[in-house]
Amino acid sequence: MHEVSIASELIRVATLECNKNGYNKISSIKVAIGKATGVMPDALLFAFNVLKEGTAAESAILVIEEIPIKGFCEKCKKEFEGNNSYIVFQCPFCESFSVNVVSGKELNIIEMEVSDEN
Amino acid sequence: MKIKVTTKILDANDRIAEENKKIFKNAGIFVINLMSSPGAGKTSLLERTIQTIKDKVKVGVIEGDITGTTDAERIERLGVPVVQINTEGACHLDANMIAEAAKDLPLNDLDILFIENVGNLVCPAEFKVGEDLKVMILSLTEGDDKPMKYPLMFQESSVLILNKIDLKDYLDVDIEKIKKDSLNLNPKLKIFEVSCKTGQGINEWTEWLLTNISWKKP
Repeated sequence: MHEVSIASELIRVATLECNKNGYNKISSIKVAIGKATGVMPDALLFAFNVLKEGTAAESAILVIEEIPIKGFCEKCKKEFEGNNSYIVFQCPFCESFSVNVVSGKELNIIEMEVSDEN
Repeated sequence: MKIKVTTKILDANDRIAEENKKIFKNAGIFVINLMSSPGAGKTSLLERTIQTIKDKVKVGVIEGDITGTTDAERIERLGVPVVQINTEGACHLDANMIAEAAKDLPLNDLDILFIENVGNLVCPAEFKVGEDLKVMILSLTEGDDKPMKYPLMFQESSVLILNKIDLKDYLDVDIEKIKKDSLNLNPKLKIFEVSCKTGQGINEWTEWLLTNISWKKP
Protein backbone atom coordinates (compact mmCIF):
# COMPACT_ATOMS: atom_id res chain seq x y z
CA MET A 1 0.00 0.00 0.00
CA HIS A 2 0.98 3.63 0.33
CA GLU A 3 2.39 3.87 3.84
CA VAL A 4 4.66 6.84 3.10
CA SER A 5 1.78 8.85 1.70
CA ILE A 6 -0.38 7.91 4.71
CA ALA A 7 2.39 8.73 7.23
CA SER A 8 2.89 12.13 5.63
CA GLU A 9 -0.84 12.85 5.84
CA LEU A 10 -0.94 11.52 9.42
CA ILE A 11 1.75 13.99 10.51
CA ARG A 12 0.03 16.85 8.67
CA VAL A 13 -3.38 16.15 10.27
CA ALA A 14 -1.90 15.55 13.76
CA THR A 15 0.00 18.84 13.61
CA LEU A 16 -3.19 20.69 12.61
CA GLU A 17 -5.10 19.10 15.53
CA CYS A 18 -2.27 19.95 17.93
CA ASN A 19 -2.11 23.60 16.84
CA LYS A 20 -5.90 23.91 16.83
CA ASN A 21 -5.89 23.00 20.53
CA GLY A 22 -3.22 25.63 21.30
CA TYR A 23 -0.18 23.35 21.61
CA ASN A 24 2.96 22.95 19.55
CA LYS A 25 4.55 19.64 20.47
CA ILE A 26 3.26 16.08 20.05
CA SER A 27 4.68 13.30 22.23
CA SER A 28 2.43 10.43 21.17
CA ILE A 29 -0.18 9.62 18.54
CA LYS A 30 -2.53 6.65 18.75
CA VAL A 31 -4.10 5.48 15.51
CA ALA A 32 -6.69 2.84 14.65
CA ILE A 33 -5.87 0.95 11.47
CA GLY A 34 -8.34 -1.55 10.04
CA LYS A 35 -6.84 -4.76 8.69
CA ALA A 36 -8.79 -4.39 5.45
CA THR A 37 -6.96 -1.16 4.56
CA GLY A 38 -3.92 -3.12 3.43
CA VAL A 39 -1.73 -0.78 5.50
CA MET A 40 1.24 -2.64 6.95
CA PRO A 41 1.93 -1.43 10.52
CA ASP A 42 5.71 -1.96 10.27
CA ALA A 43 5.93 0.01 7.04
CA LEU A 44 3.78 2.81 8.53
CA LEU A 45 5.99 3.01 11.63
CA PHE A 46 9.10 3.13 9.50
CA ALA A 47 7.70 5.89 7.28
CA PHE A 48 6.43 7.85 10.31
CA ASN A 49 9.84 7.75 12.03
CA VAL A 50 11.59 8.99 8.89
CA LEU A 51 9.09 11.74 8.06
CA LYS A 52 8.54 13.11 11.60
CA GLU A 53 11.95 14.84 11.73
CA GLY A 54 11.65 18.61 11.79
CA THR A 55 7.90 18.54 12.56
CA ALA A 56 5.88 19.08 15.75
CA ALA A 57 5.81 15.28 16.02
CA GLU A 58 9.61 15.01 15.96
CA SER A 59 9.84 13.16 19.28
CA ALA A 60 6.42 11.50 19.09
CA ILE A 61 5.88 7.79 19.37
CA LEU A 62 3.26 6.17 17.15
CA VAL A 63 0.96 3.58 18.71
CA ILE A 64 -1.00 1.46 16.25
CA GLU A 65 -4.18 -0.32 17.25
CA GLU A 66 -5.24 -2.86 14.64
CA ILE A 67 -8.97 -3.35 13.99
CA PRO A 68 -9.98 -6.84 12.85
CA ILE A 69 -12.08 -7.34 9.74
CA LYS A 70 -15.78 -7.98 10.07
CA GLY A 71 -17.84 -8.79 7.01
CA PHE A 72 -21.53 -9.16 6.27
CA CYS A 73 -22.65 -11.56 3.55
CA GLU A 74 -25.38 -10.09 1.35
CA LYS A 75 -26.37 -13.57 0.18
CA CYS A 76 -26.79 -15.59 3.38
CA LYS A 77 -27.13 -12.51 5.63
CA LYS A 78 -24.57 -13.72 8.17
CA GLU A 79 -21.83 -11.72 9.84
CA PHE A 80 -18.34 -13.17 10.07
CA GLU A 81 -14.91 -12.27 11.37
CA GLY A 82 -11.26 -12.63 10.64
CA ASN A 83 -10.98 -13.11 6.91
CA ASN A 84 -7.39 -11.99 6.49
CA SER A 85 -7.17 -11.47 2.79
CA TYR A 86 -6.65 -7.89 1.74
CA ILE A 87 -8.60 -7.90 -1.49
CA VAL A 88 -11.01 -10.81 -1.82
CA PHE A 89 -13.58 -11.10 0.92
CA GLN A 90 -15.41 -14.36 0.70
CA CYS A 91 -18.22 -15.52 2.97
CA PRO A 92 -16.97 -18.51 5.00
CA PHE A 93 -20.53 -19.93 5.16
CA CYS A 94 -21.79 -19.83 1.58
CA GLU A 95 -18.57 -18.84 -0.30
CA SER A 96 -20.27 -15.85 -1.89
CA PHE A 97 -18.15 -12.81 -2.82
CA SER A 98 -21.06 -10.41 -2.27
CA VAL A 99 -19.66 -9.25 1.02
CA ASN A 100 -19.77 -5.85 2.67
CA VAL A 101 -16.94 -4.91 4.97
CA VAL A 102 -18.54 -3.77 8.24
CA SER A 103 -15.31 -2.94 10.03
CA GLY A 104 -11.65 -3.12 9.11
CA LYS A 105 -11.40 -0.11 6.80
CA GLU A 106 -10.65 2.40 9.58
CA LEU A 107 -7.76 4.80 9.25
CA ASN A 108 -8.17 7.23 12.15
CA ILE A 109 -6.23 9.18 14.73
CA ILE A 110 -7.95 8.43 18.05
CA GLU A 111 -5.75 10.02 20.71
CA MET A 112 -2.76 12.33 20.98
CA GLU A 113 -0.52 13.54 23.79
CA VAL A 114 0.43 17.16 23.28
CA SER A 115 2.27 19.85 25.21
CA ASP A 116 3.33 23.48 24.96
CA GLU A 117 7.05 23.98 24.61
CA ASN A 118 8.97 27.06 23.59
CA MET B 1 -1.89 16.54 28.17
CA LYS B 2 -3.99 13.95 26.36
CA ILE B 3 -6.50 14.98 23.74
CA LYS B 4 -9.10 12.65 22.29
CA VAL B 5 -9.60 13.12 18.61
CA THR B 6 -11.41 11.22 15.90
CA THR B 7 -9.80 12.48 12.78
CA LYS B 8 -9.75 10.48 9.61
CA ILE B 9 -6.39 10.11 7.95
CA LEU B 10 -6.74 10.21 4.21
CA ASP B 11 -4.10 9.01 1.92
CA ALA B 12 -2.45 12.21 0.61
CA ASN B 13 -3.48 11.03 -2.86
CA ASP B 14 -7.13 10.75 -1.79
CA ARG B 15 -7.04 14.31 -0.48
CA ILE B 16 -5.78 15.68 -3.82
CA ALA B 17 -8.32 13.47 -5.64
CA GLU B 18 -11.10 15.12 -3.61
CA GLU B 19 -9.75 18.56 -4.59
CA ASN B 20 -9.71 17.51 -8.26
CA LYS B 21 -13.28 16.30 -7.93
CA LYS B 22 -14.37 19.72 -6.67
CA ILE B 23 -12.62 21.49 -9.55
CA PHE B 24 -14.29 19.18 -12.09
CA LYS B 25 -17.67 19.49 -10.42
CA ASN B 26 -17.48 23.29 -10.41
CA ALA B 27 -16.64 23.22 -14.11
CA GLY B 28 -19.60 20.87 -14.72
CA ILE B 29 -17.49 18.02 -16.07
CA PHE B 30 -18.21 14.31 -15.72
CA VAL B 31 -14.90 12.46 -15.33
CA ILE B 32 -14.21 8.86 -16.35
CA ASN B 33 -11.10 6.93 -15.31
CA LEU B 34 -10.48 4.31 -18.01
CA MET B 35 -8.31 1.38 -16.97
CA SER B 36 -7.13 -1.93 -18.43
CA SER B 37 -4.11 -4.08 -19.25
CA PRO B 38 -1.79 -2.85 -22.00
CA GLY B 39 -3.34 -3.59 -25.40
CA ALA B 40 -6.88 -4.26 -24.19
CA GLY B 41 -8.17 -1.37 -26.32
CA LYS B 42 -8.39 1.77 -24.17
CA THR B 43 -7.41 4.17 -26.95
CA SER B 44 -9.48 2.25 -29.53
CA LEU B 45 -12.53 2.46 -27.26
CA LEU B 46 -11.92 6.19 -26.81
CA GLU B 47 -11.69 6.69 -30.59
CA ARG B 48 -14.96 4.82 -31.18
CA THR B 49 -16.69 6.53 -28.25
CA ILE B 50 -15.57 10.05 -29.19
CA GLN B 51 -16.59 9.56 -32.83
CA THR B 52 -20.04 8.48 -31.66
CA ILE B 53 -20.74 11.16 -29.06
CA LYS B 54 -18.71 14.23 -30.03
CA ASP B 55 -21.62 15.92 -31.82
CA LYS B 56 -23.73 15.69 -28.65
CA VAL B 57 -21.22 16.50 -25.91
CA LYS B 58 -17.87 18.24 -25.62
CA VAL B 59 -15.16 15.73 -24.81
CA GLY B 60 -11.62 16.17 -23.47
CA VAL B 61 -8.97 13.51 -22.87
CA ILE B 62 -5.98 13.07 -20.58
CA GLU B 63 -3.66 10.34 -21.87
CA GLY B 64 -1.41 8.56 -19.40
CA ASP B 65 1.60 6.60 -20.63
CA ILE B 66 5.01 5.77 -19.27
CA THR B 67 6.54 7.40 -22.33
CA GLY B 68 5.62 8.67 -25.79
CA THR B 69 2.79 10.62 -27.41
CA THR B 70 1.31 7.98 -29.76
CA ASP B 71 -2.05 7.84 -27.97
CA ALA B 72 -2.46 11.61 -27.72
CA GLU B 73 -1.76 11.90 -31.46
CA ARG B 74 -4.52 9.36 -32.19
CA ILE B 75 -6.98 11.36 -30.08
CA GLU B 76 -5.87 14.72 -31.51
CA ARG B 77 -6.85 13.54 -35.01
CA LEU B 78 -10.46 13.45 -33.78
CA GLY B 79 -10.29 17.18 -33.06
CA VAL B 80 -10.83 17.08 -29.30
CA PRO B 81 -8.55 18.67 -26.67
CA VAL B 82 -6.01 16.20 -25.30
CA VAL B 83 -3.12 16.37 -22.83
CA GLN B 84 -0.47 13.68 -22.66
CA ILE B 85 1.06 12.75 -19.30
CA ASN B 86 4.33 10.81 -19.35
CA THR B 87 4.80 9.13 -15.99
CA GLU B 88 8.46 8.31 -16.80
CA GLY B 89 8.33 4.96 -15.09
CA ALA B 90 5.35 5.13 -12.76
CA CYS B 91 2.86 2.33 -13.39
CA HIS B 92 -0.32 4.38 -12.75
CA LEU B 93 -1.67 7.93 -12.82
CA ASP B 94 -2.06 9.68 -9.46
CA ALA B 95 -4.26 12.59 -8.42
CA ASN B 96 -1.43 15.10 -8.50
CA MET B 97 -0.58 14.32 -12.13
CA ILE B 98 -4.23 14.90 -13.05
CA ALA B 99 -4.31 18.21 -11.13
CA GLU B 100 -1.35 19.42 -13.22
CA ALA B 101 -2.64 18.09 -16.55
CA ALA B 102 -6.11 19.58 -16.01
CA LYS B 103 -4.55 23.07 -16.01
CA ASP B 104 -3.82 22.61 -19.73
CA LEU B 105 -7.42 21.74 -20.64
CA PRO B 106 -10.26 24.20 -21.40
CA LEU B 107 -12.28 22.87 -18.44
CA ASN B 108 -15.19 25.29 -18.79
CA ASP B 109 -15.76 24.15 -22.38
CA LEU B 110 -15.96 20.42 -21.58
CA ASP B 111 -18.83 18.09 -20.64
CA ILE B 112 -16.92 14.81 -20.32
CA LEU B 113 -13.28 14.19 -19.49
CA PHE B 114 -11.81 10.76 -20.20
CA ILE B 115 -8.65 9.89 -18.30
CA GLU B 116 -6.87 7.02 -19.99
CA ASN B 117 -4.75 5.39 -17.30
CA VAL B 118 -1.44 3.61 -17.79
CA GLY B 119 -1.96 0.06 -19.10
CA ASN B 120 -1.88 -2.06 -15.95
CA LEU B 121 -4.52 -4.24 -14.31
CA VAL B 122 -3.16 -3.73 -10.78
CA CYS B 123 -2.00 -0.32 -9.47
CA PRO B 124 -4.43 2.08 -11.24
CA ALA B 125 -7.28 0.47 -9.24
CA GLU B 126 -5.66 1.69 -6.00
CA PHE B 127 -5.34 5.37 -6.89
CA LYS B 128 -8.30 7.71 -7.13
CA VAL B 129 -7.71 10.62 -9.47
CA GLY B 130 -10.93 12.58 -8.88
CA GLU B 131 -13.17 10.60 -11.21
CA ASP B 132 -16.96 10.14 -11.12
CA LEU B 133 -16.87 6.74 -12.77
CA LYS B 134 -14.30 3.97 -13.13
CA VAL B 135 -14.56 2.01 -16.36
CA MET B 136 -12.38 -1.01 -17.09
CA ILE B 137 -11.78 -2.97 -20.25
CA LEU B 138 -10.98 -6.67 -20.40
CA SER B 139 -10.22 -8.01 -23.86
CA LEU B 140 -11.13 -11.62 -24.59
CA THR B 141 -7.55 -12.50 -25.52
CA GLU B 142 -6.47 -11.92 -21.91
CA GLY B 143 -8.34 -15.03 -20.74
CA ASP B 144 -11.26 -15.82 -18.47
CA ASP B 145 -9.18 -16.19 -15.28
CA LYS B 146 -8.53 -12.44 -14.91
CA PRO B 147 -11.41 -11.43 -12.58
CA MET B 148 -10.23 -13.84 -9.87
CA LYS B 149 -6.55 -12.98 -10.40
CA TYR B 150 -6.96 -9.19 -10.37
CA PRO B 151 -10.09 -8.78 -8.22
CA LEU B 152 -9.56 -5.21 -7.03
CA MET B 153 -9.89 -3.72 -10.52
CA PHE B 154 -13.21 -5.57 -10.98
CA GLN B 155 -14.43 -4.51 -7.52
CA GLU B 156 -13.51 -0.85 -7.98
CA SER B 157 -14.98 -0.42 -11.47
CA SER B 158 -18.61 0.41 -12.20
CA VAL B 159 -18.46 -0.64 -15.83
CA LEU B 160 -16.72 -3.60 -17.49
CA ILE B 161 -16.24 -3.44 -21.26
CA LEU B 162 -15.50 -6.85 -22.80
CA ASN B 163 -13.57 -5.90 -25.92
CA LYS B 164 -12.50 -7.93 -28.98
CA ILE B 165 -15.83 -9.76 -28.89
CA ASP B 166 -15.39 -10.35 -32.67
CA LEU B 167 -12.70 -12.92 -31.78
CA LYS B 168 -14.85 -15.09 -29.54
CA ASP B 169 -15.17 -17.97 -31.98
CA TYR B 170 -11.40 -18.20 -32.34
CA LEU B 171 -10.49 -18.27 -28.65
CA ASP B 172 -10.75 -20.79 -25.82
CA VAL B 173 -12.28 -18.22 -23.54
CA ASP B 174 -15.43 -18.68 -21.48
CA ILE B 175 -17.31 -15.37 -21.61
CA GLU B 176 -19.97 -16.58 -19.18
CA LYS B 177 -17.24 -17.38 -16.64
CA ILE B 178 -15.82 -13.86 -16.97
CA LYS B 179 -19.29 -12.41 -16.37
CA LYS B 180 -20.12 -14.74 -13.48
CA ASP B 181 -16.84 -14.17 -11.62
CA SER B 182 -16.97 -10.41 -12.23
CA LEU B 183 -20.53 -10.16 -10.91
CA ASN B 184 -19.61 -12.29 -7.90
CA LEU B 185 -16.87 -9.80 -7.06
CA ASN B 186 -19.08 -6.82 -7.84
CA PRO B 187 -22.82 -7.48 -8.19
CA LYS B 188 -23.46 -3.90 -9.40
CA LEU B 189 -21.00 -4.10 -12.31
CA LYS B 190 -22.50 -3.06 -15.67
CA ILE B 191 -21.11 -5.21 -18.49
CA PHE B 192 -20.95 -4.38 -22.23
CA GLU B 193 -19.70 -6.66 -25.00
CA VAL B 194 -18.03 -4.63 -27.72
CA SER B 195 -15.65 -4.83 -30.62
CA CYS B 196 -13.69 -1.67 -31.24
CA LYS B 197 -12.62 -3.21 -34.55
CA THR B 198 -16.10 -3.80 -36.02
CA GLY B 199 -18.02 -1.28 -33.91
CA GLN B 200 -20.30 -3.99 -32.43
CA GLY B 201 -21.83 -2.94 -29.10
CA ILE B 202 -20.43 0.62 -29.21
CA ASN B 203 -23.89 2.20 -29.51
CA GLU B 204 -25.22 0.32 -26.46
CA TRP B 205 -22.24 1.54 -24.42
CA THR B 206 -22.43 5.18 -25.58
CA GLU B 207 -26.20 5.34 -25.13
CA TRP B 208 -25.85 4.01 -21.59
CA LEU B 209 -23.04 6.49 -20.98
CA LEU B 210 -25.01 9.52 -22.17
CA THR B 211 -28.13 8.61 -20.19
CA ASN B 212 -26.37 7.59 -16.99
CA ILE B 213 -23.96 10.45 -16.51
CA SER B 214 -25.09 13.68 -15.03
CA TRP B 215 -23.45 16.96 -15.76
CA LYS B 216 -24.64 20.48 -15.46
CA LYS B 217 -22.88 23.57 -16.65
CA PRO B 218 -22.92 26.24 -13.93
